[in-house]
Amino acid sequence: MSSITNLADHQLLSGNHAVAWGARLARPQVIPVYPITPQSPIMEKLGDFHAAGEIDAEVLTPESEHSAMAAAIAASLAGARVFTATASQGILLMHELLHYAAGGRAPIVMCNVNRTVASPWAFWPDATDSLSQRDTGWIQLYSETPQESLDSTIQAFRVAETVSLPTMVCHDAFYVSHAMEPVALPDQALVDGYLPAYDPEHFVEPGRGESFGYVIDQATFNRTRRDLDEAMARVPETLEEADTAWRELTGRSYGVIERYRLDDADTAIVTMGSMAGTARVAVDEMRAAGERVGLLKVRLFRPFPVAHVRTALAGIGRAVVLDRNYSPGLGGMLHQELKAALFGLNGSTPAVHGLLAGVGGVNVTPEKIRQFVGDTTDREPQPQSLWVE
Amino acid sequence: MQKIDLVDRDLFNPGHAACPGCQESLALRAILNTIGPDAAAVFPPSCGAVICGPHPYSSLQIPVFQTSLESAAAAASGLRRALNQRGKHDTTVVCFAGDGGTYDIGFQALSSAVERNENILYVCFDNEGYMNTGAQKSSSTPLHASTASTPGGKPSKKKDIIGILAAHGIPYVATAATGHMNDLIAKVEKSLTIEGTRFLAVLVPCLDGWGLPDDSGVSVSRLAVDSGMWPLYEVEQGHRYTLNHDNKTRPVADYLSLQKRYRHLDETQLAEVQAAVDQDWAQLRRRAAESTEARASG
Amino acid sequence: MTAATSPLWSNGSTAVIHTGTWRSATPTHNDLPSPCHQACPVGGQIARWIGQLRDGDVLGAWLTLVEHNPFPSVAGRICHHPCETACNREALDEAISICRLERAIGDRAIAEGWRYPEPTINRSQRIAVIGGGPAGLSVAYQLRRRGYGVTIFESQPALGGLLRYGIPPYRLADDVLDGEIARLLDLGIEARTGETIDADAFARLRAGYDAVYVATGAAKSKRLPSIDPARPWVIDSAAYLAETNAGGQPRTGHRVIVIGGGSAAMDVARTARRHGRDVTVLALEKETQMPAQREEVVEALEEGVQLVDGAMLQSVTEHDNGSLTLHCIRVDFVPGSMRGEFTIEPVAGSEFELSGDAVVPSIGQQADPAPFGGGDGPLLGVDDAFRTGLDNVWAGGDVASMERFVTAAIGMGKDAAEAIDRAMNPGTAAIVDAGDAVPYAAINTYYHPPLARTEAAVRPVAERVMGFDEVQLALDAEAALAEAGRCFSCGTCIYCDNCYLFCPDMAVSRLPDGYAIRTEYCKGCGLCVRECPTGAIQMRAGK
Repeated sequence: MSSITNLADHQLLSGNHAVAWGARLARPQVIPVYPITPQSPIMEKLGDFHAAGEIDAEVLTPESEHSAMAAAIAASLAGARVFTATASQGILLMHELLHYAAGGRAPIVMCNVNRTVASPWAFWPDATDSLSQRDTGWIQLYSETPQESLDSTIQAFRVAETVSLPTMVCHDAFYVSHAMEPVALPDQALVDGYLPAYDPEHFVEPGRGESFGYVIDQATFNRTRRDLDEAMARVPETLEEADTAWRELTGRSYGVIERYRLDDADTAIVTMGSMAGTARVAVDEMRAAGERVGLLKVRLFRPFPVAHVRTALAGIGRAVVLDRNYSPGLGGMLHQELKAALFGLNGSTPAVHGLLAGVGGVNVTPEKIRQFVGDTTDREPQPQSLWVE
Repeated sequence: MQKIDLVDRDLFNPGHAACPGCQESLALRAILNTIGPDAAAVFPPSCGAVICGPHPYSSLQIPVFQTSLESAAAAASGLRRALNQRGKHDTTVVCFAGDGGTYDIGFQALSSAVERNENILYVCFDNEGYMNTGAQKSSSTPLHASTASTPGGKPSKKKDIIGILAAHGIPYVATAATGHMNDLIAKVEKSLTIEGTRFLAVLVPCLDGWGLPDDSGVSVSRLAVDSGMWPLYEVEQGHRYTLNHDNKTRPVADYLSLQKRYRHLDETQLAEVQAAVDQDWAQLRRRAAESTEARASG
Repeated sequence: MTAATSPLWSNGSTAVIHTGTWRSATPTHNDLPSPCHQACPVGGQIARWIGQLRDGDVLGAWLTLVEHNPFPSVAGRICHHPCETACNREALDEAISICRLERAIGDRAIAEGWRYPEPTINRSQRIAVIGGGPAGLSVAYQLRRRGYGVTIFESQPALGGLLRYGIPPYRLADDVLDGEIARLLDLGIEARTGETIDADAFARLRAGYDAVYVATGAAKSKRLPSIDPARPWVIDSAAYLAETNAGGQPRTGHRVIVIGGGSAAMDVARTARRHGRDVTVLALEKETQMPAQREEVVEALEEGVQLVDGAMLQSVTEHDNGSLTLHCIRVDFVPGSMRGEFTIEPVAGSEFELSGDAVVPSIGQQADPAPFGGGDGPLLGVDDAFRTGLDNVWAGGDVASMERFVTAAIGMGKDAAEAIDRAMNPGTAAIVDAGDAVPYAAINTYYHPPLARTEAAVRPVAERVMGFDEVQLALDAEAALAEAGRCFSCGTCIYCDNCYLFCPDMAVSRLPDGYAIRTEYCKGCGLCVRECPTGAIQMRAGK
């Protein structure tokens, strides 16, 4: 995290408004968007910008998230920079088209506000909505703070357009989406320099003689997936490059993952999103108590940064994974992804404890995190995730 | 002799995969060449989407964007907006969807696009069923027609898509048929002069799905018109009705008896179809007459 | 086109895919004969010249017409038009008014002074034509066009035969006949009028010419057994018409009884009406059975001719004051299987009487084939190629046929000319049989909306009986164009583009003079055949 030294260029923004600002600064050309709690403030803020003539974009308000994403894909493959936002049921309704977007290599950027998935009906922070879309081919970034959400939104366009993959920036309902903090707003000129106009190789336009989306044979389909795989493989380094460039311009960066007080740690808390902020406090408290505990914040979840994670955790005795999400029959998704990533690390593999903490928006305080970590000291790691509270 | 007023600009390529005698490809040829080269097309999965390809070959000289089955109108909206952003306001965005992608699964997106009055031309190739997947029923399938999913005949009427869209206040909505090519071409030309959403439902008898000989599509579509099963009309601004073929000269039996999908029909069912057509026709004529009166009285 | 480099973006054309391999039948553009053409005695390519007229090419239409018939103006007035009876359009609404169109073109040619193209070759062979009527003039014309030297021998002072001496001017004006004959002679045909060819002269012609064509017609009136032709009140039908057509007014008395139901009887009756006579026609046939053209009968009745049909003259009583009583009886007339054959059954007790001052038997003409090797028979016998039993002697028209129609005679002349040409110069191509006529079912009538036949104006009755002006008036150019627009053009490609535009596979290409099937793409659906408005495309099994 950057330290706040000068608040003159800051505004007090919620996470959602920070995303709207990030989108505005990226100069999207088409914004198809449908409201849903707790995403709606993003849509509304962009609507305000549009009404005030502060963004030159086509704002399209169709009847559903499905149509919003359909319009987003078409607009993107017609050569426009496209932004949209959603949450919860909305991203689930888009599900079919998330595959369509990634298969079509449409570099759409979307903010997903992580909210519980019905039924039952609820509005609380829980990342099951976007994590359950991890196989759709979208790059996924998880954000801890409003400032990170703004910065990630801008970085996401650079990464998406570099590797031709759609990218979602996820932040938690209310903890980030509605929490306000002073947010540094970069100059438009700075962003313009960082993010050149979108200039795709292929796009739908009369006279270009190319068409999108035709029936293909098995071998060609296979090739599209290999191409997708290659693009995914380039994401971590592309994100690192984008993040580094952003740091050079703004002083802020977040990495592919963030290692916080991990260098001499024997225990690593591994988590994502707003939980990382809580864990950060818990780590500081445990460090103050002499415990060698650090934090590994996973910012890039898709593609899963296997190499980064392996390097970060090699030789650390214990990893405690906090999952605010739940995959029935599997458990915490970060827990399972992490175990797979560490496979074959042999003697230096940490003991991985997967904890289902805060699922459904249940409050997880620093005290609880300290308790969860403490409880793992005399417990053998289990293959499955454990419910804790 | 009546001549066909089509100038072919070679915008539809040979070698496509449509069945012999396909009415959809015939209509596509006429519409593409009437619109001209400054256009981009959206296809949801359909016979039309198959006729487009296969990759890497295209039968259309204009660019095509293929989208998912539910999303034709939404994708067309997105394409429209992107082209606007790229300064291509004059490029026609045309959507070619089947009746399944229009009346059924794509209806929600269509209704919304019409409500937003997106500046697109939406063409529904109506062959009254899911023909590309083996001739199952859609909500466009007419009363008593047999399909793969209603083998005993469909117990409900065809959805009145034109009436529904007229109720949206859409600037222009019309029916057309391959058998009345000049009418079809004139309607496409007219639609090109109108800003906003325009909708054209083109009856394209499916030779395989309806059980018809390969050379009969054009003439069967004429019987559909002459029998009143597919009246040719247009509605402007949702309320101005015009009948383009003011002649119902044949009993529906003349039309139905040619098609295998009606082979099971008994006398009672035939009478039901006839009665429904007569009723719809009377209503249509009434609306057209009211529109004429309204125009006359200014 | 280049192959796509992206698996997602297609940039080639499906034109590289040859869907023609799917086909099991192939459409072929092939002009077929129209029913009117098949019915036409001169084989007149009617669909073709009507198409030319419709396209505004009146000269082209006339040139097509005169390929087959040097008398379009004449035929356009008096032909019995079996073409119209055969017309496919009759099944939709009404037949095309073919005769009127032919007349319109013929009259335009006379008005414009259009001339025949000069023969492209000249042959040394010389042909003698005996008889300057329709058959003789037709054969002379067709032979001259083919380069032969032709001399016509005509016993009358002027050419034309029946056209001049048998058909009244209110049906065929003199200037029309004169115009078409003069143009024909301008081709370089020698005409020797006033020369009657008897058996000796015939022998000399055979010796002096390479071939002889006999077309002496049927000049002699048939006699009625019930009356003595020597009585002064019996008037010869042919002589009467010859005299009246020349401007004379024979003495007949006021009440004229014409016996017969054919065209000649109508001509006599209507001519007599124009001379102010009371005219009664006594016909064996019922009105609807009469062999005269229907419109002739209708017009005769309009003009005040009294018709006593289904009746037969049995005897005549002469009275001292010169008046006559005709004793007649009603009969049942039953037509036979052959033209001209019939049986009659008198109705017992149905006797009745007519009064009159003159009787004109007008029951037909007979030929005199004797001087030309014909023996005692009624006709000069000919084979299919119009060859008589004598070497290098051909014959046609009424002397060789009972088919007593002007255009039939013209057609026989044309056919004989082709036969003579082949005989004189064996290399000449034989005429190919054109096959069956296009049926109504092959016409896609969607493209031919119902439209009433354009009827030509007819001169008012009051004007008609005052003189010999033509009864049937011409179609004006606009009406002719409209009527030509009604023609189905059966079997003739009219370059309407339907086959091209209705192909879902872009498998028909346009050529400067027609269309070609792109067999690499044609899937064989047959839509082009079905949507052809003229029946000029057919499906053939195979690739």
